[in-house]
Amino acid sequence: MPRAPLPEFSSSVRLKYVKLGYQHLVDNFVTFLSIPVMVAVGLELVRRGPQEIVGLWRALELDVIHILCSVFVIVFVATVYFMSRPRPVYLVEYACFKPPSNCRVPFSTFMEHTRLINSDEKSVQFQMRILERSGLGEETCLPPANHYIPPHPTMEASRAEAQLVIFSAIDDLIRKTGLKPKDIDILVVNCSLFSPTPSLSAMIINKYKLRSNIRSFNLSGMGCSAGLISIDLARDLLQVHPGSNALVISTEIITPNFYAGNQRAMLLPNCLFRMGAAAILLSNRRRDAGRAKYRLVHVVRTHKGADDRAYRCVYEEEDAEGHTGISLSKDLMAIAGEALKSNITTIGPLVLPMSEQLLFFLTLVVRKLINPKRKPYIPDFKKAFEHLCIHAGGRAVIDELQKNLELSAAHVEASRMTLHRFGNTSSSSLWYELNYIESKGRMRRGDRVWQIGFGSGFKCNSAVWKCMRTVKTPIDGPWSECIHRYPVHIPEVVKL
Amino acid sequence: MDLLWTISTILLLCSLLSILWKGFDRRRNRSCYLLDFVCYKPSDDRKLSSELCSDIIVRNKRLSVPDYKFLLKVVVNSGISEDTYGPRSIIEGREECPTHDDCVDEVDDCMYRTLDELFLRTSISPIDVDVLVVNVSMFAPSPSLTSRIVNRYRMREDVKNFSLAGMGCSASPIAIDLVNNIFKTRKRTLAVVVTSESIAPNWYYGTDKSMMLGNCLFRSGGCSFMLTNDPSLKHRAKMSLKCLVRAHIGANDDAYSCAIQKEDDEGRVGFHLSKSLPKAAVRAFAENLQRLAPKVLPVGELALYVLRGFRHWLWRSKEAKTDAATAAMVNFKSGVDHFCLHTGGAAVIDAVGRALGLTKYDVEPARMTLHRWGNTSASSLWYVLGYMEAKKRLRRKDRVLMLSFGAGFKCNSCLWEVLRDLNDGGAWEDCIRAYPPQTLVNPFMEKFGWVKEA
Repeated sequence: MPRAPLPEFSSSVRLKYVKLGYQHLVDNFVTFLSIPVMVAVGLELVRRGPQEIVGLWRALELDVIHILCSVFVIVFVATVYFMSRPRPVYLVEYACFKPPSNCRVPFSTFMEHTRLINSDEKSVQFQMRILERSGLGEETCLPPANHYIPPHPTMEASRAEAQLVIFSAIDDLIRKTGLKPKDIDILVVNCSLFSPTPSLSAMIINKYKLRSNIRSFNLSGMGCSAGLISIDLARDLLQVHPGSNALVISTEIITPNFYAGNQRAMLLPNCLFRMGAAAILLSNRRRDAGRAKYRLVHVVRTHKGADDRAYRCVYEEEDAEGHTGISLSKDLMAIAGEALKSNITTIGPLVLPMSEQLLFFLTLVVRKLINPKRKPYIPDFKKAFEHLCIHAGGRAVIDELQKNLELSAAHVEASRMTLHRFGNTSSSSLWYELNYIESKGRMRRGDRVWQIGFGSGFKCNSAVWKCMRTVKTPIDGPWSECIHRYPVHIPEVVKL
Repeated sequence: MDLLWTISTILLLCSLLSILWKGFDRRRNRSCYLLDFVCYKPSDDRKLSSELCSDIIVRNKRLSVPDYKFLLKVVVNSGISEDTYGPRSIIEGREECPTHDDCVDEVDDCMYRTLDELFLRTSISPIDVDVLVVNVSMFAPSPSLTSRIVNRYRMREDVKNFSLAGMGCSASPIAIDLVNNIFKTRKRTLAVVVTSESIAPNWYYGTDKSMMLGNCLFRSGGCSFMLTNDPSLKHRAKMSLKCLVRAHIGANDDAYSCAIQKEDDEGRVGFHLSKSLPKAAVRAFAENLQRLAPKVLPVGELALYVLRGFRHWLWRSKEAKTDAATAAMVNFKSGVDHFCLHTGGAAVIDAVGRALGLTKYDVEPARMTLHRWGNTSASSLWYVLGYMEAKKRLRRKDRVLMLSFGAGFKCNSCLWEVLRDLNDGGAWEDCIRAYPPQTLVNPFMEKFGWVKEA
């Protein structure tokens, strides 16, 4: 969304203070209103003196029964109010898969393999250029099957990768939380490009001997934003079943999806997608509120599939030689921007402080009624959130969002560093980014986190979390051994 | 003081009223109504006769003569008629190398045809759909099948879509469970569910016998149905969901691996059905019935069951508890009028029928569905329901039990109550008068009778 440079006078100091004053006034409107009322009441009390007040109290002729009744009514009304609120959904803990170092694919390895597998020199050069500008680092990992020359994408290898990434993440989660597998009531698994029968959810039920009355769902084909779709589904289920917990697994299995052809638009996923998985434990039990890390505040889903351009921008198809791959169109960035705009329109009123909403509304009114040429007001989302986790789809996606939302480098640091260290791990990338923020010791109680995911379809999904307790730097996790090296400077082009 | 009393009384009354209203509202929105369902009827040029099946089998040059005999035997004895449908790519000879377009076209044809008709019959516009669920077990392209539907019908941006995959032949009740749960969190919601299976990319062209059965039994089919929790649409609804029970015994290793997609010794992917499948099915079935019985049976029958069990324990019968004895302990027909059984195969239908103590009349819809449509995987329950409706068996207040099995191993069931007398012919319209046929024996038995000698 290109924006004209702001006129000179609005950067003047005076206007800045006016704006600040306006924001404080509107955001704390109720407080400002109640202050004069309280002052008046206080003055009145002081004026009347303590004797008169005691006299007033006596005049009310309250006896024990009246007081008891009043107390009962107050308690009753309060109970009704609290019971009618929707059940809170807590994120107790989550764990990300830490790839073993023997799966590492430094640039040199990737290029060497590419040259040996692919005979077309132009394709090799193209992939090298992509890799140079990708924003990926030297420590990203591919599954064992992809280390063969050429890659060995059998169903058995795909299952092995699934077992490796998913079971490691779940084992980690169990160790951190003391979760008993028999205690799990709901299981939601999302993996876009690999869906064997029986499903990955059945594989997990088999390995951990989960209960027979578990509610399990396996989502597939839903793209890189499927992690938030799973969270949405788990939340709906937790609203219906009290005293339950839900295990959500987000992953992408790379093994079966190596593209063996030469179509450029379809070579990009080979360069960007890497191994990863996340296991998340959600709960609506009151006793978990004490130890939970986050509370889920909102989930907003936007699907732009009705628009043909958006629908076709991430598309699985066969090339002329019969190789199947995922084609990424050149419009991807523009479409991502539009999808985000739609998502923001819904989430804005839910999270923005009153001052921003009022400004947005007033600008809208002005545009519609008085001056259609006036630029739309882009609400300052930095006011609504302390941390942002943008899906690490690729450098271009992060750049585009940084520009659209007018974010600073600090806001997108988690996304860029995750892309550098782990590559594009699809739906689990949001959790690696959250883990980065925690590992840096930046997550404080009361902080709000906005996770944004994009995926084929074209979808843009957002989730808003509120931190419930200051997170101590994790002892172990995917970032534990390398966090001290981050953030790193990622050059525009890494010469290979 | 009166003021205080008045205020307290008013507050109390308001709270009481609000609690009552919330309770009433929740009950109203708890229902899940089935507005309509449309079963897929592929075009006639996709019919798979026994002769054509035989040609397709013989095309696989890796098989030996005993293998051909085995396969033909399965086809001829399967209880499947000459009118079932297969994917175009297989009929046209591309079974070993289907293109991505072949696979997509196969599913598209099913989804779009049934959805077009569904929207037409219900007079509901796609833009009003709030929830969309698609389940196709063995094919999950990007963008998802739900995205394909959203694109084609230009659905809203905030439509909640879910694409389930890998959940096997029992995925219909799973999709209903998902929608039912969403219904409990939102009012006046409309959901569309599409269930089908993809055969074209999953044809097995190796030599492992356990993987060839799928080729012989699975046929093209699908169903789209519309659900809602809006009480104002109740008068148009066909059925109302009463309860749903899911049982998953994947914790047992044998159960998990008895129906599994994997590579054979030569690296070809196929769907392996092991010999321990019937045992796993029985266990899952028992697990499901244990939880289903108290929800479905009338109190009297449950009391009788307890008494019989007590008597059995008292007399400590020396003989082993047989299936028949177990079946005699519970009479499911006291709480259920019609049974939609998954058409996994003639043996499965008969076994389940025996276990539930069902008569020929009760299993007829399932047997006839297997005959007319073959094993259409998750959508088979809907064809069975369609048969009952076309035969005008479904009367108001009747209770219908849907029971299915799937890889994992799962047994899922759901109980519906019919809201009004149902008369639509649906996909059975043109052939219902010919059912039940005089004989289910394959007309080519003479021609292929030689398979019996071996």
